[in-house]
Amino acid sequence: MSDRDVRRLRRIRGGAEERFLGPLEAEVMDRLWKRGRATVRDILGDVGRTRSLAYTTVMTIMTRLYDKGLLVRDRDGKTYVYRPASTREEHRARLTRDLVRGLVDQFGDVALAHFAAELDTVDVAHRAALRKLAGQGPSGRDSGNPSGRENGAPSGRDRRSRGPR
Amino acid sequence: MARADRAYALLVLLALGSSAILIALLGSLLPHALDLATRGADGADAIAVLLLLCATLGISLGLASLFRQLLATLALIRSLLRRRVSVSPRVRAAARGLGLDGRIDVVNDPRPFSFCYWFARPRVCVSTGLARRLERSELRAVLLHERYHLRHRDPLRIVIARYFAAGLYVVPLVEDLVEYYALEKEIAADGEAVASSGVGPLARALYKLLPDADTVSLGLLVPVGALSVTEARIDQLVEGRGATPIFHPLSIALSGGALAAAVTLAAGGVVLAPAFLLVAAAISGASQQLRLVARTFPSTG
Repeated sequence: MSDRDVRRLRRIRGGAEERFLGPLEAEVMDRLWKRGRATVRDILGDVGRTRSLAYTTVMTIMTRLYDKGLLVRDRDGKTYVYRPASTREEHRARLTRDLVRGLVDQFGDVALAHFAAELDTVDVAHRAALRKLAGQGPSGRDSGNPSGRENGAPSGRDRRSRGPR
Repeated sequence: MARADRAYALLVLLALGSSAILIALLGSLLPHALDLATRGADGADAIAVLLLLCATLGISLGLASLFRQLLATLALIRSLLRRRVSVSPRVRAAARGLGLDGRIDVVNDPRPFSFCYWFARPRVCVSTGLARRLERSELRAVLLHERYHLRHRDPLRIVIARYFAAGLYVVPLVEDLVEYYALEKEIAADGEAVASSGVGPLARALYKLLPDADTVSLGLLVPVGALSVTEARIDQLVEGRGATPIFHPLSIALSGGALAAAVTLAAGGVVLAPAFLLVAAAISGASQQLRLVARTFPSTG
């Protein structure tokens, strides 16, 4: 990670973008979600198995994830022990919400004409009508679509939050 | 001419006509403002200055907030495009024969989305998450939908439309027409996809993307009490029924009143009654402007 990249990342502000992860950041988060808690050296051991990475690189990434609020850390003697600030599912739910809210609520629909992001509130009747038209059974939402929930919020309906009116 | 195009043409005509009237009015008010500065207070001059101040403040607020939205949108697009990957064979196969060669960007992102962006030569952006989630025919339907936006330069049109609405906040009918156009263009884009590949693939694509929409509300986009854009799209798919324009009698009355008042004022100097009518329209318009400004500061959580 060059200084330029770090500077560029520092320049990026705003809720939605702040939570976008680079590939290495995503990998580190993935390890931490699996382990629960870990030090920089633990993560280096995991990630470093498949490629060679410097200790400082991993440390920089984890510090940045901490700065972004994705990780929390406790001091254990001389080293920090990191753990994820939210579960993977919570993080995904927030990302999805941020993306669409980011695209439309925050930025308006200027400059974009979108297919997926235009999917706003849909009541039960319309949902059922669409399901019928799509030729799917009552539980057909995920059929033939193993990764269907991959990006969805696990408890979407409960999480529905209204934008400012 | 398609309904979306008609709505847009009507919008541009109304906006240009209203702009001409309001600019003439502001031009006729300027001497009053200068009088006030040089010769001291007088009832008519004070009203003129008040009108000028309100107009300038409202218009600058709306335009500034839209400009900020535009910059932020462009920053978001740039940040997405940093993760551009080569167009996968899957996307290439879905886009075969659509005339979109070299105009599709695939970005590496697990979330499913697609949009059409940029002004002079629009492009279509598709996420790897969307490509993975949809089958080929469904992906093709989404690309057909986006191709409509691309061919009609909808990104540019919507920016122009939103700027008209922000600048002409005393004519609420403009805002209504923008909402109507925003909805019609989605329905027209769906229509193109359906005409080419039938209802099934598009309906399945929409349906597969619904779970993600559960977590969000884009309530700001649509007039309260009206169908959401997606619901209107579903109606269109199910019944082939187009959306009916929603022009509130109040906004027609306010728009007509404001423009008539502006003409009277511009023609005959400041008269109290039309000035108040215009102020009433301005207050109603200002609530729209505030909504626009509020959109720039979303609540968190």
